[in-house]
Parts: sequence; structure tokens; C-alpha cells
Amino acid sequence: MLIWMWIFHSGYLRDYLSVCVMLFPFSLQDTTAYPYQFQDDPYLSPRTSVEFKLFSLSQESGRSAAKYFINNYPKFFTKDFAEPHIPCLMPETVSLCLEEVSEEALKERISLRKVTAAADMYDQLLQAGTEVSLETTHDLLDLICLYGDRDPVQDGEPETEDMEESGEEPKKRKGRVRRASDIIKSTWKQNNNAERIFNLLPERDTHCYSALIRGTVLHGAYEKAFSLYTDMQNNRLSADIHIFNALIAAAPEVRDKYQEKWDVINDLLKQMSQQKVQPNLMTFNCVLKALRRCGSLGKSQALQTLSEMKALQIAPSLASYSHILAIFYKPASAGQGNTDVLQEVIAELAGTSFTCQDPDDVLFFINAMRICLDNKDLELGYQIQSLVEVGENWRLLGDSFQQSVYYGRFFNLLCLMEHIDVVFKWYRRLIPSVYYPNPQGLRDLLQALDTDNRLDLLPTIWKDICTLGHDNKSDLVEELLALMARDGHSHEVQESFAACALDIKRVYDENRGKPSLEWSNSSLSHVASLLLRANKTQHAWDVLQLFKAKNRVPHEELLGEFLSACHRDGSPQKAVELVHLSTAFCLSATPNLAKRALAEFDLTEEQSYATWNDRGKHSSRISSE
Amino acid sequence: MFRLLFRTVYTARNSSVNVNESLSLLAKCDKANCTVPALRVSNGGGLRALSTNSVRLCEKKNESVTANQDEETKTDAEADPKETKTLVTQEADEDSKVIKMAEQSEEPLVSKADDGGSTTQQHQVDVTTEQDVVTPEKVETDAAMSGKESLLSLLGAMKVDVTSKRKPKIVKVKQSEFTPMSRPPAMESTISMFQQATAEASSQSEKLDPELVAAASAAASTLPNSSQAESQLLKQLRQHEAVTEAQKKGDVTKDLGLIIADMKIGKHSNRQNARPSNQIRFDEDGQGYTHDRGITSELDSVRRNIRRNLFSGKRLNIFARKTDDGADSAVARPTLWDMDFAHQLSEVTNQMPRNGLEEMIQWTKEGKMWQYPINNEIGLEEEASVSFHEHIFLEKHLAEGFPQKGPVRHFMELVVGGLSKNPYLTVQQKKEHISWFRDYFHQKEEVLKEADVYLN
Repeated sequence: MLIWMWIFHSGYLRDYLSVCVMLFPFSLQDTTAYPYQFQDDPYLSPRTSVEFKLFSLSQESGRSAAKYFINNYPKFFTKDFAEPHIPCLMPETVSLCLEEVSEEALKERISLRKVTAAADMYDQLLQAGTEVSLETTHDLLDLICLYGDRDPVQDGEPETEDMEESGEEPKKRKGRVRRASDIIKSTWKQNNNAERIFNLLPERDTHCYSALIRGTVLHGAYEKAFSLYTDMQNNRLSADIHIFNALIAAAPEVRDKYQEKWDVINDLLKQMSQQKVQPNLMTFNCVLKALRRCGSLGKSQALQTLSEMKALQIAPSLASYSHILAIFYKPASAGQGNTDVLQEVIAELAGTSFTCQDPDDVLFFINAMRICLDNKDLELGYQIQSLVEVGENWRLLGDSFQQSVYYGRFFNLLCLMEHIDVVFKWYRRLIPSVYYPNPQGLRDLLQALDTDNRLDLLPTIWKDICTLGHDNKSDLVEELLALMARDGHSHEVQESFAACALDIKRVYDENRGKPSLEWSNSSLSHVASLLLRANKTQHAWDVLQLFKAKNRVPHEELLGEFLSACHRDGSPQKAVELVHLSTAFCLSATPNLAKRALAEFDLTEEQSYATWNDRGKHSSRISSE
Repeated sequence: MFRLLFRTVYTARNSSVNVNESLSLLAKCDKANCTVPALRVSNGGGLRALSTNSVRLCEKKNESVTANQDEETKTDAEADPKETKTLVTQEADEDSKVIKMAEQSEEPLVSKADDGGSTTQQHQVDVTTEQDVVTPEKVETDAAMSGKESLLSLLGAMKVDVTSKRKPKIVKVKQSEFTPMSRPPAMESTISMFQQATAEASSQSEKLDPELVAAASAAASTLPNSSQAESQLLKQLRQHEAVTEAQKKGDVTKDLGLIIADMKIGKHSNRQNARPSNQIRFDEDGQGYTHDRGITSELDSVRRNIRRNLFSGKRLNIFARKTDDGADSAVARPTLWDMDFAHQLSEVTNQMPRNGLEEMIQWTKEGKMWQYPINNEIGLEEEASVSFHEHIFLEKHLAEGFPQKGPVRHFMELVVGGLSKNPYLTVQQKKEHISWFRDYFHQKEEVLKEADVYLN
């Protein structure tokens, strides 16, 4: 850091930002550290994805609370210390200042995005007979249509107000920042303020129609949008680019058959051409997105659309490619084993740095990685990952959930296809700085370890599992135990396995109260046999007692192993106890066990009698049954 | 020699640890068996063969290197002994081809070695180099020993010293060199050329040195049907002799040309190895091998050549190319929709800063941080157009509306002096300040005149 500061101050490089941007590929990301946003606060050290989410949300909600307070109580924040003035640190005006009925007041309400207040003010102005300028009317229509005649949730407003107002909205967004995607789910009400004001207008121009059509499409009233468009054509108005984009996006919704959908889109495009409206990137992205829902027709038309884009010198964005990929690789038909299109797309994109041009851009990487995973194409996976690392492309990975899905798929692909050492290289690089694996990801890793015969690494993986908070996932822990117990290993490995098994046992004991982690038959036997193999006989006996406590029945092989361990230790007493135990479990192997005990151990008369007795008990019980 | 080269290449590929070892071996062998370089110098034709073959070998090497490159990049060029274990199986067929080629290339070399009885030694060099790779610790002793003895001992030791890893290959080589009859028929197809080549090479020994015969019989005795093998060996040695005789008479170049023309270089298509498709694709969902790589990989490469390009298809032909009339010259003011779209885009790409520098970039963009390099006039952009003299020489504003002398004038001069030293006010504020006094004294003009201090 000092070096950079010296560079800045020495005046060789004048523009700070350009220097930062230039340096930033080299400003290394510490892969062993927590995400940077949490480094200030030692209490916020996320180890799992849940914690990550919780901490980010708490951090963000803290910021929102502060902002709410500042904006709502500006009287406490009058002192402007900063010289020069820093606007973003000072309170914003969120409340209305103008109370009188005037166009100025209407403008203020529009700029503050108070939808209902603005509509009311417009009505009052009309009643008072005041003429509202065309520009303000346009703004008002835009506002009402964008928010679907509903007040947007603003940063400074408590959530409860909104809940009262719009009870019909699903209450599923808990603690999530409201986005445009939430608005999409809301519905367009018949004869709402937008339509009412629109109908009241003495003359309607393209802008009014544009606002209304975009609003209806955004809020799901697709038929209404098309009828408005017809209405507009009857009034001999020419449409603008936004109308066409919105209508193309709505086209798949108003027709059922693939061919009809495409016909509607094709018609719209031809009308655009007739009305001399130049298409833009969003037009073609809308076409491609619509083609995703045109089934088999999509493939041919998508390529033609892409050629058209090239002919018009419109560079496709990541979203265009994402749609193309979605058209060519349906999620259902995995394993078609043909990644030609993806390869070409990647070859086209390799080494380019992107800026976001379409909200759908962020879906590209996640889709591309899914195709790689479906086709098990490691090479392409690496190419996509290197594309992510170019420039600022990582910003296009989407939100934290999408990122975790992307990295999860990449890691899954690595586990499937790559050699274990390379897998571990990526494992250390991705975890936990950018990716918190889910139990499935860890299970993939275990399988990769199994495939490459590096089971000796299992204890370290167990530590990571504990750190990642997956030690309460019983199926994962059981798989780990099964892998450890499956084969015999060298002495050191067995020692480490036994230590690991004891650790697992401790976790089980700690979790006693919770239902998530319950001793199962197999897990108990695996722990016991692991301990036996490492000559931790006493611990193994403890585990054996657990069988009784947990109402589980040990396997016969396990008891055989115990007997061998007793023989190794030379403790006939234990052997007799073992036979007793076996009798208590009513195991069918009891006679064999007793026979072995009698044959292999020098038992005292009393002991041998007891053993015989056990054997007899078993047989008598069998006969009585 | 070629075998040695190849082996070194191979071992170098196998593990970086072995590289130094085998390189030193190479040097050692060159020193110990100086007949090899001598051979190279002695015969022009041989040299030619050597050079062509070395070129081919280099080609081969390059190719295998490129073939390995994608594997290498995966491991980030970490030469990992574990990794190559998986490679070995992949390259098994490549290996066999390379061996074939190495053997072929040996043929012209040996056939040129017509200067006396060095063939035995040559042969021995061959075998020694072979053995070098297998048991490096044997090299020094081998070099020290005399040729025939070492051959015998080597042949005896061969079976014992090979490591488990190399065993099948070495045994195969040995069998095909000495006992063509006893090898299984399946092997015939893969190494027939190789065997033929060695047969020619071995028949080249001119006089059938009795010690060589003894060596051959010793070698044959290690094999199951020894008598048959021995007779076979001797027969080949004699054939070898005949060929050498013929070549001595001068049809060297023709023969060489034939040999070179006959050579087939097993060339791999790069594409085949460049793709990960050679790896076993095991499908979890029970589909097993999704591709039959053997045939389809070639089909793949064909298809790849004629594949349709993403952009090469026909277009919709709806829109005409935009004419640069600047139809969009009237830029409309941003509507709410535009703002919302921009907001969406920024939301989507709004990532948390990953490190301190990124955070500082963000703060700078928000205006919370000083811009570097530090400039103490930042935020005073509107003042930048105002020259300093307007701040300092304020007397000109006193010319109008103020008395020329007297206490008021004196007072105002003091005010102007103070204002000229005040850095915190803009010129406009200073002017306003002065004009306030002007108004004030105008209002109080009567009073001042009465007091007789307002002199004009």
C-alpha cells in the first residue's frame, strides 16, 4: 500500500482513478481471508453461506437504518463539516415541502416518486382547472406506469406502511432489498390511475402510449398492451423503440403455438422497419429471450437474429449469448454431449472485458457453467473461469446466491473431472474467500478423493466440514465415516482416522439435544471399527456401550473385530463381556462368537461356563421362538 | 542413441525430478560410449539419416509436448508425478507408435555402421541405454565393463532389475528383439515393424562373432523354447550380415532412401489430444460413456472444420443498415424508465468491494475521498476562472459611492484591506460586502454630513 501511495504522490501518474483501475488486476485477492467487507469487524467472520448472508444483511440493514435516521431527521445533521461539500453524506429530502396545489408541487411529488400523492395532486389540479404541461403529464404517466399505480418502497420508509397499503402483495420478501424484479410480479389493475389519467388526456402522443404499454407489459397485462398498440395504430401514431421492445418481450405471452409466437415477433420487427425505428441491443435481446420459449423454432431463428445483429453492427451482450445458450441447451436434455455452440461463444468472447448492458447479463456465466457441468467439459469450464477473471467481468457474476451457484457448479465439475491435486488447488483458492460449499459440494469432494485414492486427506476435510458448519449434516458425516472405515490403511493414516473418528463422536455427543445428528447403526459401527484398527480399544468399548444406549444393534463383523482386538490385547475378560453383550443383542452370531472365544482364549472355568451359558441361552431362545 | 533420446524425452515428461537424472545420464553415456558420436561423424549417409530422424523425433516431441500442454495447463505447469500416472494410460498408444519410430530410426543408423566390428558395441550401447532408464545405478558399472561381458550380464540382469512399473514394456522389447517366435500373436500387429527393424539391425553383425553367438544363445536360454529362439537369432544375425555386405557395395543411398520412404510416422492429430474428450467421461446418471471417443473424435474434428459459425448464417433481413444521418441527434432528456433501467444495471453489477483499493475507488466515485494527487483547490471549480487580482485589488470598488477622503474612506480602505486578505470569501461575496457598506453609508449620509465627516 505504501508503494502505491508513493506512486500517487510522486506525481508520475496523475489520475488517481485510472491508476487504481490499472492496478486493480494486480491488487491481489487474499484467498485465505474472509471477504473484504467483513474484515473491519471481528464479530462478522462468516464461515458458512448462511452466516455470510446474515452478516451481509445485518451490515446492510445497519447502513439502511443510519440512512433512514439521517433522511428523516435532517435537523440533527445540519453541520456540514466536509470541505468541499460531500452530497452523499448529507440528508436527502424525502418529505414533501410544497403543500399548495400547483404544478410545482406535482413535479416535486413526481421527483420524490410519491405515486399516489402525485395522482391526487394531478386530480386536484384538473378540478381547479389548471392546465398541466405536457412534459409533467408524461412524467406523471411514466411514474404511475413504472410502479403500477402503487407507491414504491423507499429506502427511508418503514416496511410496515407498505404492508398495510398493499396487503394483496405476497409477503415473501423478507429482509430483501426491493428490486425491479419484485415489481414485475405485481399486477396491473384494470382502470387504475394510469389508465384513468390516460383516458382523460385531450390528446395522446407516442410518449403517453409508450408509458402505458411499457407499464402494462411490466406488470403483466400483455393483452392490454397489444390492444393499446392497435389503438395507437388506429390513431396513426408511430411507435417508438421502447414500445416495440416491450411488445416483443410480451409476444410469447399472448400466443400459444411456437410458430404464432414467432409470427408476432416477426410482424413487430417488420413494422419497426417500416416505421424507420432503429432497433437496439435490447430489441434483439428481447427477441432472443422470446425465442427461448419458441421451442424447436428457436435454434434457427436465434442464429438468424444473431446474424442480423452483426449486420446492423450491434454487438451482442452477455445476455444475448446467455439466451442463445439457453436455446441450444435445454436443461432437460443434458448429456447431448455437443458443446459446439458454447465453444464458439467462448471463442468469440475470450479475453474480452464486459460492461453490463442488460440486466440479464449476469445470467450468462451461471448458464455457461451449467452447460459445462452437464456435458462434463472441463476444458470449457476453465475457459469460462478465465473469462470471469478478465477485467471487471467478475462483477457480472450476479448476487451472492448466483455466485455461489456458479462456483458450486465449477467446483462440482472439477471434482468430477479433475485430478485431486488440482481440485485441491482450486479448493484452497475458492474456499472460503468466494465460495462456501454446500453439503453436496463436499460430498463431491469426498467422491473425488475416493476416486483418486487419497483417502488419507479425509481428516483435513473433516476439519473443513466443521469449519463450514456442515458437521450437523448426518448424511455427509456418515459418508465420511463410511469412506474412512471402508478399507484398511497404513498405521499413521489409521491413527489420524481414529482421532478424526473421536472428534466426530464428540460432535455427535455435543449435538445430543438436537435431532439433526443421531447415531445410526452404520455410523456407530464405523467409528468403533476405526478406533479398533488404531488400537484404541478402550474408546472402542465406549462406543460399543453406546450401541446399547442408542438402541442400535452392532454388526457381526464388528463383534468379530472386537474379539480379535481382545485376543490381541490378551484380555479374556473382555471377550467374555463381548459374548455377553452379543447375547443381550440377541445376535445370531452369538454361538460362533462364543465358540471362537472358547477356542482362542484361555478362559477360567467360571468364564467358560458363562460363555457356554450364553451360547445355550441363545439357542434356547431361538428354539422357544 | 535415439532410444536414449526418446527415453530421456519420455522420462522428462514423466516427471521433472527425473529430468536432471536422465540428462546427466545422457551426458554420461556420451562420455562412456564415445562410439556413438564417432558413428555420427564417420558416415555422411548415416548423418543424414540421423538428422532427418532427429527432426522427426523433434516433431514428435513437439507434438507430444503440445498434446501434453492442455494437461499441463490444467495442472498449472506443476510437474506432478501423480498426474503423469494418468497420462501414461492415455499415451499408451502414442508410446507404442513412438517406439516403433524409434526402432525404425535405429535401422538406418545401424546399417550405416559399417566401419568394422563396432556393431557389437553399437548393439551394446543400444541395450545399455535401454537399461539406463530402467536402472540408472547400473550405468557406471556397465560403462566400465567390457562390451560382451556387459551384454551378457545385462541380459541376465534384465529380468531382475526392471521395476514393476516398466516391466511389461521392457519385457516386450526384449522378447521382440530376441525371440520373435515366442511372442503372442496379438503383439505382432503392434510391433511387427519394430521387430523387423531390429532383426535387420541384428543381422548386420558381419562375422557373427562367436562371443556374440554365445550372447545370443545366452539370451535365448532365458526364454521358454530356447533352441528355437537361438536358431532364430542366429539366422537373423546372418541375414544382418548379408544386408551389410550388400550395402557395403555402394547401394547405400538408394537403400537409405527406400528406408526413409518406407518410414511411416504415426502422426496424431493435435485436435484429438487437445480436447478433454479423451478423458473418460463417466456419467453419474447411468449413461456411462457419453461418447465413443475412438471414432467420433475423428468425426468431431471433421465436423469442427465445417461447423457453422455463429455469425455466418443468413440474417433475418428485416432491417436496413443504419445510415449515419444522426437521426437520433435530438437527445431526449432521460425519462424515469431510463433511470430505472440504469438503476437495475447498477444493482445487478453492484458487488461488494473485494479489497481496499476497490473500496477506495468506490469512495472516490462517491466523492467521499480526496482525489489524488491532492489538490487544495478541489471543490473551488467556479473560482478557478477568477483571477487572483480580483480578490486582492478591491480598491476599484471604492471608486463609486464612497467619499474620496475622510474617516469613511479611511474605514473602507481598512475593510478592503481586510477583505483582500480573506481567502474564505468569493469575489462575489466580497463585492456584496462592500456594496452593503455603500448602501449603509448612503442611508446614513445625512447624519454623517451633519457630523461633517462625509467629505466628497
